[in-house]
Amino acid sequence: MENIAAKLLWTFLGLLIVLNWGMLKTSIVRKIVARVGGRYGIRWYQPWINLIKLYGTRGQLSHGVMFYLGPVFRIAGGVGLFLFMPLIFGDPRWSNFAFAGDLILLLYFKFFGMLGMALGAGEGGHPYSAIGVSRGLSQYTTVEIPFTLGIIALAVQYDTLSLTEMVAAQQGGIANWTIVTNPIASAALLFSMLGIFMHAPFDLVKAPNEIPIGPPTEYHGSYLGVLRTNAAIMHITEAVLFMNLLFGGANNWIELIIKTFLIYFITVFIGVVFPRFRIEQSVRFFLGVPLILGILAIILIM
Amino acid sequence: MVTPIYIIAIALGIAFSLGFFSKGSKGIASSLFYLALTALTAIAGQWLIAFLTGDQSTVEVFTSGFKPPFSISLQMGFEEAVLLSMINIAGLLGAVYLFDQFKKYGAHLMITYLLLIMGLDVIVMTRDLFNLFVFLEIASIAMAGMALITNEGKSVQAGFKYLTATAIISAFFLIGIIFAYNFGDSLYINELLMSEGILKAGMVVSFLIIMPLILELKPFPANGWGLDMYQATHPAVGALLSGASVTASAYVLYKLAPLGGEIGYQVIAILGLITFLGSNLAGLKQSHTRRMLGYSSIAQTGLVMIVIGLQPMLGEMTLWIAFSILITNFLAKSGLFWLAGIINKDELKSWGILRKHPILLFLFVMFVIALSGLPPFPAFFGKWELIMALANSGNAWWIGLILLGSLIEAVYLFRWVGYGIKDKSFDFSINCSTYKTIPIYIMGAGLIAFVGYYLNHYFGDVVWYFIPLAFAALMFILDFLPAKLKNIIAIIGMGGYAYYMYDHFLGVDNLRFFFALIFIVGGILTLIPGFTKSGKRLGFYPAALLMFSGLGMLISATDLLQFFIAWEIMTIGSYLLIIRGKNSIKHAFSYMLFSLGGAFTMLAGFAFAQSGNPGIGLEVLSNMNYLPGLAAALIAIGFMTKTASLGLHIWLPGAHAEAESDVSPMVSAILLKAGVFGIILLFIGIGAEAATNHPLTYTLGWLGALTALIGNLGAAFQEDAKRLLAWSSIGQLGYILFAFSIMTHLGWLAGLTYTANHAAFKAILFLGIGGVVFRTKTHNMYEMGGLIKKMPLTFITVLFAIITLAGIPPLSGFAGKWLFYNAVIMKEWYLQGTIVFFAGIIAFLYSFRILYAVFLGHLKDKHRKIKEAPIWYLIPQFLLMGFIMLFSMQPELILRPFGDMISAYFPTDALTWDNGTALTSLGYWNGFRVGVIIFILFGILFGWLFLTSRKVKKIKSFNIVYAGEAPERPETTHMAHNLFAGYNKALGFLVAPGITNIWKWIDESTHDLGDFIRRIYTGNAQTYLVHIVAYTVIVFMLINFSI
Repeated sequence: MENIAAKLLWTFLGLLIVLNWGMLKTSIVRKIVARVGGRYGIRWYQPWINLIKLYGTRGQLSHGVMFYLGPVFRIAGGVGLFLFMPLIFGDPRWSNFAFAGDLILLLYFKFFGMLGMALGAGEGGHPYSAIGVSRGLSQYTTVEIPFTLGIIALAVQYDTLSLTEMVAAQQGGIANWTIVTNPIASAALLFSMLGIFMHAPFDLVKAPNEIPIGPPTEYHGSYLGVLRTNAAIMHITEAVLFMNLLFGGANNWIELIIKTFLIYFITVFIGVVFPRFRIEQSVRFFLGVPLILGILAIILIM
Repeated sequence: MVTPIYIIAIALGIAFSLGFFSKGSKGIASSLFYLALTALTAIAGQWLIAFLTGDQSTVEVFTSGFKPPFSISLQMGFEEAVLLSMINIAGLLGAVYLFDQFKKYGAHLMITYLLLIMGLDVIVMTRDLFNLFVFLEIASIAMAGMALITNEGKSVQAGFKYLTATAIISAFFLIGIIFAYNFGDSLYINELLMSEGILKAGMVVSFLIIMPLILELKPFPANGWGLDMYQATHPAVGALLSGASVTASAYVLYKLAPLGGEIGYQVIAILGLITFLGSNLAGLKQSHTRRMLGYSSIAQTGLVMIVIGLQPMLGEMTLWIAFSILITNFLAKSGLFWLAGIINKDELKSWGILRKHPILLFLFVMFVIALSGLPPFPAFFGKWELIMALANSGNAWWIGLILLGSLIEAVYLFRWVGYGIKDKSFDFSINCSTYKTIPIYIMGAGLIAFVGYYLNHYFGDVVWYFIPLAFAALMFILDFLPAKLKNIIAIIGMGGYAYYMYDHFLGVDNLRFFFALIFIVGGILTLIPGFTKSGKRLGFYPAALLMFSGLGMLISATDLLQFFIAWEIMTIGSYLLIIRGKNSIKHAFSYMLFSLGGAFTMLAGFAFAQSGNPGIGLEVLSNMNYLPGLAAALIAIGFMTKTASLGLHIWLPGAHAEAESDVSPMVSAILLKAGVFGIILLFIGIGAEAATNHPLTYTLGWLGALTALIGNLGAAFQEDAKRLLAWSSIGQLGYILFAFSIMTHLGWLAGLTYTANHAAFKAILFLGIGGVVFRTKTHNMYEMGGLIKKMPLTFITVLFAIITLAGIPPLSGFAGKWLFYNAVIMKEWYLQGTIVFFAGIIAFLYSFRILYAVFLGHLKDKHRKIKEAPIWYLIPQFLLMGFIMLFSMQPELILRPFGDMISAYFPTDALTWDNGTALTSLGYWNGFRVGVIIFILFGILFGWLFLTSRKVKKIKSFNIVYAGEAPERPETTHMAHNLFAGYNKALGFLVAPGITNIWKWIDESTHDLGDFIRRIYTGNAQTYLVHIVAYTVIVFMLINFSI
């Protein structure tokens, strides 16, 4: 019993760290993007203020049960992903609940939040929500192909589907990282990472710069607070996934923070340089070079 | 015993005396006439009974006190007794049917009729060549005379053409007789057959004897004169031609065929095959009922010719096979021609009138099914024996062509059935006089009796096997009861069957037990919504029970024959179920064609598989000797038409979507698994070791992957909710095919998991959407929307089903995905596996679409007062949801028995269990822990949102921020039509109807070919005569050329 309580406490602590690091990262990234665009940008603590404001809203509207549950699904998806993700290598305190399932569980659990959110947005009744969901799902299908091919290549390379074991195999210096040992599969995975993080050029799903569109259109108040909380956790967790897959994992929190920031920065860097794709363009994009890289990665291991 | 001479004596005597009563005492005339026919029938029947019961031996009767060759002799053996009975029964019943015509035309017609029947009788019995000629002439002239019943130009012309054509044929025959007498020194057939003179005399003699007999059977294409006769004369004449006349002529050919020697047999078989194929092709384009029946009759005659021609190979089976085909054609064709007479319209579509006369409709459908050579009717057994014998002697091409011809015949026959069952465009009524219907009933009863006889003959020792079929038959009889009562009876019956399965297979053969669960328990669950129906629901229960009994019999089948019969019975039942849908006529037809095509390829595969094996037990699948690769591929194609694999899938969306609300889950969640079961049996036969790198399983793996992709992509672009689910079934069955093709322990585990999950969630989805359709009366998703508030329970079940379908943890769908990943990586099928995974992601598109467009978004004004789906729809859904929850939380409970089952075939322990965690050499997964974590997490986060949100006010769905404007109507605001427009732009080309177009092209070019072929029938008497002469000359030259 004591073990479980300790486990829960460590996990909760990890969650808090990830959440706050995610908020900080958001403001840093927005600052960078603003500076590239010649603007001043937000204050570094703005995300916390936003969150407090959203959770503090005095009145809210609801379109129905599924609408209400949408954000819950979404954040359960995000936190669940966090729970099944080993964070720091070699430290059981920070390996969360990774013993319940392997990489495949992570791959499929991502959809839990997506589907719930999509349904919640659907009950919101706003056509923009439905359009956003339709675009998001469309784009996601093809993002997943190079991703899957890359994952399979890695699973064969390391002969396991356990993320912890994959990190273990990459210990001992940069030369052992997947990005070095298997650059083609890594390239495929990094391409799909661009799609997963949905920065430009793949940000039509939410189109964050103009009129509000996308699944959260009708969400406000604490719903939006929950969604923002989730976004902070989710971004870091997903970056941790790529860190574990490609960049040798992390042995301590500092390493984790640096690596996740740099990983996330790749997408930001590309995002500020490239304009936005339409949906059919991004669908076709992922079926081009990234797909070829993925197939190449597979052919190399056959 | 009354000697057969009396047949001639009575017929002639009465015919002469009828002349005295031609005026005035019509009553006496007709009494005498019917008495005479009854007497003929009685004489024939008496001989038949004697042969059947006692040890009566063949008798030869000599006329005028001399022995042959100085007198004419008649032979009465078992074969003659059978054929005479058939001819005389046809004669007697035909006369009853023609009661009004005899009344109208009086003694003249009666005389002609009596002479016709007598002529046919003697043709069968006579052993004298010249006598045969005489009676052939008598029969021909009488038959031509019968054409005059219908007092129309066309009919008279047809009679004239018939007369001239038979005259030419007789002329050939007469020359042949002269030669035969010259070289054989006798006209006594028995002596001729023994003498070597004719064989020595060269080909011309035997050619001139046999060719006219072939021409009498109206071989394609020299048969325009016969076709016109079928088309233009009174339907009863068609019945006589097809039933009695063909029977007699075919027997004569059989009798004299030995004269031609080996080459003669070959020629008969080849001309038979050409007739069978050509006639069926020409029948394709027919819209005139009786002409179409004519084509079918001639095709059946062609089949009989094939059998006669293959006699050297078939040996003593020849008569059995020929009889099976003849008797079916005799009973069914007579019945159909008489029905045509009652309906008295030329157009096929007018048969829709039978909807008003259920018993006649039943007989009609039964006759056509029998004619198509489907079990359990005699013709099926004949064809089965023929195909098996052909395979055993290594004649693969013959099998292919015969089955092709049978399929073409089924095309036009089942199109016709479709009209009969469904077409509503008739605007007339029919008069069913008792004297017209009774002969049809008798033929129907006869057909059923023969079914019993054949089943007893083949399965006398395993009668229990057909008990479910008997139950389905009982439902036919009980069809007058109210629907609710029948539903209870059906469920009780199925319950009993489920117990039987439990008793026989649990622990003995768990694989079969698992499929029995899906078929029978699944069947019970899908029968429950039937309680919503009021009235009688005529025809539903017999069809449903036929399908379920076929499914059950698949499980208990121990040999190929039983399996195939079960397969076809299931197909017939499901066809009759599917066609019940409102707009199903076209789709049911396409379903039937694909099913029959699949069944025929399977039949060919079975035939090859059993070749060289001592029996036909299912174990032959593991010991194929003759063309093993082709056999396995053909069998696989047969099963894949049922699982709707890519290329063979185009029938499914329409058939499943347009079926009734409670039929869709039956055919989608349950019936498709029959194909899966078959594929498993085939793969077990191939064996684990042989299959490691088997080209077939490798190909099927790719095919499964592509099917999954195209099926799911197709589903994403549907606007019709049921079509979406139907396309999704195609995709899901693609996964299943893929998983089993992996041929490893884990692959099969994934396959069984998919199978179990699909049965559960697809049943829920079709029932859930069925409930919605039941309330909204539309299939179009964009016409729905916002129904979550009206049908919350349905939404919950559909949501759970969708989460299972999508494979999202923690529900059991994920078990399949996880196993699948492990299996794919270990098998090293990376690329195929990725395609399947991609398909799985595409499934999200339609998963979201069906949930969103139906239940979320905006409620339409007309649906404001809609109610939750009926409780009878919800009960099975919640039961199935219970199963899914059990599987999700305790996967070990279900996966472990699956593993034990598979261990019999794939002994490796690829999956081990450690305290609830499933372990493979690659990864691990604990379903219970994942479930608990997610449910607790969900609860906590829900609490968090609940704590942080205040004063939540419920608002209508229209209360949205919409660029400062209030939306106008739900129709304009519910974003559901063409939801994935962007995706369609990018990838829609993948589901452009390419395969449909290929099939359409095949369909159209076959029809065009048929149309082209039938253009040789100009209707001109001279042309027809040229046909006959040219045909004879060409055949002669070809024979000469080839010798």
